Amino acid sequence: MSKKFAFWFFLIGTLSSTALFLVLTADTHRQVKVLTNADKLSEDVVAGKKVWEKYNCNDCHTILGFGGYYAPDMTKVYRRIGPEGISYVVKNPEVAFKDSWRKMPRTGITDEEVPQLIAFLKWVDAIDNNDWPPQDSDKGARRRDLRLAGAVGMSRGAALFKEKGCIGCHSLEGVGGDIGPELDGIGSEHDREFFRKYIPNPQSVVPDSTMPAQNKLTADEIDALADFLSNLK
Amino acid sequence: MKYRSQIVARAYFTVALPLFILQVLMGLYLGFSYFAAVPQGVVDVFPFATARAIHTNLLVLWLLLGFMGGAYYIIPEETESEIYSVKLAYFQLGLLAATGVVAVVGFVFGWNQGRPLLEIPRPLDMLVVVGALIFLFNIGMTIIRAKRWTAIQGTLLGGLVFLALLYLFGIPFYKNAAIDWYYWWWVIHLWVEGAWELVTGAILAFVLLKVTGVDRNIIEKWLYIEIGLFLFTGIAGTGHHYYWIGAPRYWLWVGGIFSALEPLPIIFMVFDTWNHVRKRNIHVKNKLVLNLAVVNAGYHMLGAGVWGFAHTLPQINYYTHGSQVTVSHGHLAFFGAYVLLNLTVFYFAFTKFKQIEVFDERRGKIGLWTMSLAMLGMGLTFGVAGVIQAYLERVLGLGYMATQEHMRLWMAVTFIFGIFLVGGAIITAYDLLFLKPAGDATRPLGSQQLAEGGTV
Repeated sequence: MSKKFAFWFFLIGTLSSTALFLVLTADTHRQVKVLTNADKLSEDVVAGKKVWEKYNCNDCHTILGFGGYYAPDMTKVYRRIGPEGISYVVKNPEVAFKDSWRKMPRTGITDEEVPQLIAFLKWVDAIDNNDWPPQDSDKGARRRDLRLAGAVGMSRGAALFKEKGCIGCHSLEGVGGDIGPELDGIGSEHDREFFRKYIPNPQSVVPDSTMPAQNKLTADEIDALADFLSNLK
Repeated sequence: MKYRSQIVARAYFTVALPLFILQVLMGLYLGFSYFAAVPQGVVDVFPFATARAIHTNLLVLWLLLGFMGGAYYIIPEETESEIYSVKLAYFQLGLLAATGVVAVVGFVFGWNQGRPLLEIPRPLDMLVVVGALIFLFNIGMTIIRAKRWTAIQGTLLGGLVFLALLYLFGIPFYKNAAIDWYYWWWVIHLWVEGAWELVTGAILAFVLLKVTGVDRNIIEKWLYIEIGLFLFTGIAGTGHHYYWIGAPRYWLWVGGIFSALEPLPIIFMVFDTWNHVRKRNIHVKNKLVLNLAVVNAGYHMLGAGVWGFAHTLPQINYYTHGSQVTVSHGHLAFFGAYVLLNLTVFYFAFTKFKQIEVFDERRGKIGLWTMSLAMLGMGLTFGVAGVIQAYLERVLGLGYMATQEHMRLWMAVTFIFGIFLVGGAIITAYDLLFLKPAGDATRPLGSQQLAEGGTV
């Protein structure tokens, strides 16, 4: 093999790979508009991206799997803990993570910035990214629903527990979030009356509780949840 | 040293070494934060994010200063002429180092672009661009004035121009996060699996040429094949970062196939390096330089080749993406491919700066092996933590912090390895800066007769 051959090998290899890459880049630009809902990139979403960058969130959290690995991935956080959850955590990280051995810094995010950040995270959540990450994926959610139903039944309380977002912070049988404590067997520690008071105003019963008041639930829903939780024995 | 202006490189390397130490010290703090409970008061003032920004930016800065110094060392010998402007080279070093220091101090006070690895604020980006332009101008003018062209300097210059161009894609603000990451990888991936491979391929070829005395035509021929394979697999292989960002599905195929081929150039490079070393026709006086080159090739293979391949296929990457498996790969690959390469060049060049024919290798050996083994340990414990994370969090669906609890022990072990790594790095940096000739009493057996051979 001559040096000249080696040079041509280098040139053709590089150029062919570059050509393929550039063609696909052009096509990606075309398709990404649909895949990411680029038409929904409102001013709020863009402002939210700037908030995300301003506080350097990305050097602790990953988003789309990139960034720091020190804190949970934020790609699907909107579906995981919802807008109230996001707002609560970013405004009061020192309360939300009081019992955690890993803390989140108080960034001093303003009241104006919080909804913008939420708009950005909502937009990211809707990106069609091949159902990643697995822990928040559609496929994974179906599997966890089945596991949860098998473990705690299908009562109205159980459905509310999932739909009203309790599961974003609490877990049952290893399914759910971990900002708040696991609730397996919680029914043997507290009775129905306790939950009826605790859910709408946690601090009225347990003064140093870090759980936010659930004041959007109707009295009827609170009763159903209290039934459900007090039966977890 | 054949040309007086090569001494510029010494300043570059001398600035790079303390930055290296600062980088690994910051890494130690990151490791500590992974298993210890850092109080809220500390986290509020000095968050993990800031420490990470400093750790990664210092890495890039000192590696680039090493490459630039390496280029200033190599170009005079390749072009057989002095550097176009020595003053400009020193000015450029001052500019880039000052920009780096301002950036790091800025991070501490929250002045930050907020994009991982590209945290340097945009005004400072402009200074980096000016520094890069001065550098390319200086190197380019040296080559043009000398009118002498070799494959090694061509590869080096090509890599440096490519490197500088790619940096520009990281500067704009992109509204669409998916597009943002798309071009983010043009900087990150096409640097480490493209431009940097050209630069380091050329540097390694130069060192091997000088150390082994193998015929230039043979070395340059294999250099072409090696960089041809690197760019063929690396450019389209960027696709392995586009699996989960909202890009079209064909990236799963393109990324999967091309990145599955990415170990090829590395296997080739290991074979190539080993072959040149084996067929050397010069008696080697400073074996440490040669050892470093070989360990560099092997580590490059392990960290970038094996570890990269292990989680590059979409079926696996779906579970490992953005986990400690990535961290394991990142550490082994950067250390193997770039840190050891820079240290090889530093050892080679410092003997010339100080006009030491045979240097005392004892400290250097301790430094090299402490670092290499400590990093291997870190790679393994990061990897174990990563597998635990992928399984518990991604397969079973446990919460993030519940999973971290199970990884905590392994992160603590990583920290202990990290202490050894910092120790090894300090020994190495100290050894380089205060390199001493081997005394007769300390000279290893047999080196007397080797001393009659060529120069290393």
